[in-house]
Amino acid sequence: MDTIVSTTKMNSDEIFDLMKQFITEVIGEEFVEEMDITPESSFTKDLEMDSIEIVSFSEKIKAHFGNEIDFTGWLSSMDLDQLINLNLGMIINYIHECQ
Amino acid sequence: MAKFLFVVPPFFGHISPTLSIGASLINRGHEVKWLGLTPLAEKHVPAGGEYILPETELEEYQDEIALILKRQDDGPTCSGPEVMKLALEETYVPFARIMMPGLSNFVDTWKPDVIINDCITFAGALCAHIKGIPCVTTTPVPPDVLGDTANSAPKIFEWQQNLIKNLQQEFGVYGDEILIHSHKLNMIFTSQAFAGFNEVPQHMKFVGPVKGRPNNASFDWERLSKTTTPRVFVSLGTLLVDIRKEFFQKLITAFANQPVTIIAATNPDIFEEWPENFIVNGFVPQTELMPYMDAVICHGGFNTVNDTFTNGLPMLITPIAYDHFHTAKLIENSGAGISIRYKRLRISDLQNTVFELLQNPQYRNAAMKIKETFIAAGGNDKAVQLLEDFAEAEKILEPLN
Repeated sequence: MDTIVSTTKMNSDEIFDLMKQFITEVIGEEFVEEMDITPESSFTKDLEMDSIEIVSFSEKIKAHFGNEIDFTGWLSSMDLDQLINLNLGMIINYIHECQ
Repeated sequence: MAKFLFVVPPFFGHISPTLSIGASLINRGHEVKWLGLTPLAEKHVPAGGEYILPETELEEYQDEIALILKRQDDGPTCSGPEVMKLALEETYVPFARIMMPGLSNFVDTWKPDVIINDCITFAGALCAHIKGIPCVTTTPVPPDVLGDTANSAPKIFEWQQNLIKNLQQEFGVYGDEILIHSHKLNMIFTSQAFAGFNEVPQHMKFVGPVKGRPNNASFDWERLSKTTTPRVFVSLGTLLVDIRKEFFQKLITAFANQPVTIIAATNPDIFEEWPENFIVNGFVPQTELMPYMDAVICHGGFNTVNDTFTNGLPMLITPIAYDHFHTAKLIENSGAGISIRYKRLRISDLQNTVFELLQNPQYRNAAMKIKETFIAAGGNDKAVQLLEDFAEAEKILEPLN
């Protein structure tokens, strides 16, 4: 359901489930099964997403939330250590605050 | 005639094209030497050339060099941002620092007319700047692997700039100018079309693949001639020691007793037994072998990529780390191959992709188009001409500098 549904705010659990769905779509179900995805999962290290996967993940966020969330802009403002330490919980918080 | 000094890192993929151009320069009557951080086997150095290892100055850094080299094995398990740190902060910058004293002393003694530094061997260009020696840079991979970081990731750009400026300051070079590469001539060993550039700065010259370095590796040509199924060449390059076994296990699972012949460049000792349709050698005469192949599987090491498209062959690229992802994207853009990220490589995809590449002519046709751009780029002849013209022009300019 890649449509803009911004009438009701999602809570953190709902965002987490949605992120998990996006990650599964991006990297494939069988690879996700081997991972234990939690809010502490680091984006690049635990989920092992490469730049192409991050781009398609960003596109899914954009397709879902529309322009209210500038996910790529947010990522590009980070320094290297912030990117290395970026975890799913931080993304959930960011989306939660932007809604 | 001129004296050319190649300054190279301890990675064979980067050294390899310089050995090929060096051989051509020697044939033209020039004096050519190489300077590096670790020993290089005599057999790789073109006849008439010399490889310099400044052992005295490097002695105190032996442990640090060993640690940095060992650290490269972590590359495949690192994330993109971690690899950036590993490469620039933990490898290239310290290598430059370690290399500088020995390089500086040798340059004072031998007095080269031109210093040619590999793109990740910053000490070469920096030393050339300090001593006022003309400098050329060689770039074995399609450039701009990090993208336009100045705009897309300003903090990462700033981090890169600061690391380099700090390095320069350590050697008494102040100011904002980045001096780790030549601003006058940067030779890139691919074609502009393949690298995906519309416009490039004047000093960037795409000369295409170069060849001719000594390679006396033996090979069982008779066994190859008896094979009847399509031949697929597989290489994992010279790095990536830790994942070698896992990578080739996947290949065995996928292709044992399938209607293909796998020609693999890797040490056969990693398994006690190989399937009958696998021909495995630690070292192979890759350039001589490639014309007899039908497809190639590799992680994206650039010399193998060049050998592949020089022969118009389709490729399955399985990017692992470093610049492999950028190369994989270029190959997919060209239509000459299929990319499957190593970490997401399923056995069934491996099989299906290889048979698709062998059976569907569109990939080979696209690969033939890359081959044409490679040939048009000029190769060794173009590289030698650029270097000779550069040396000549700098000699004329010298009194003015």
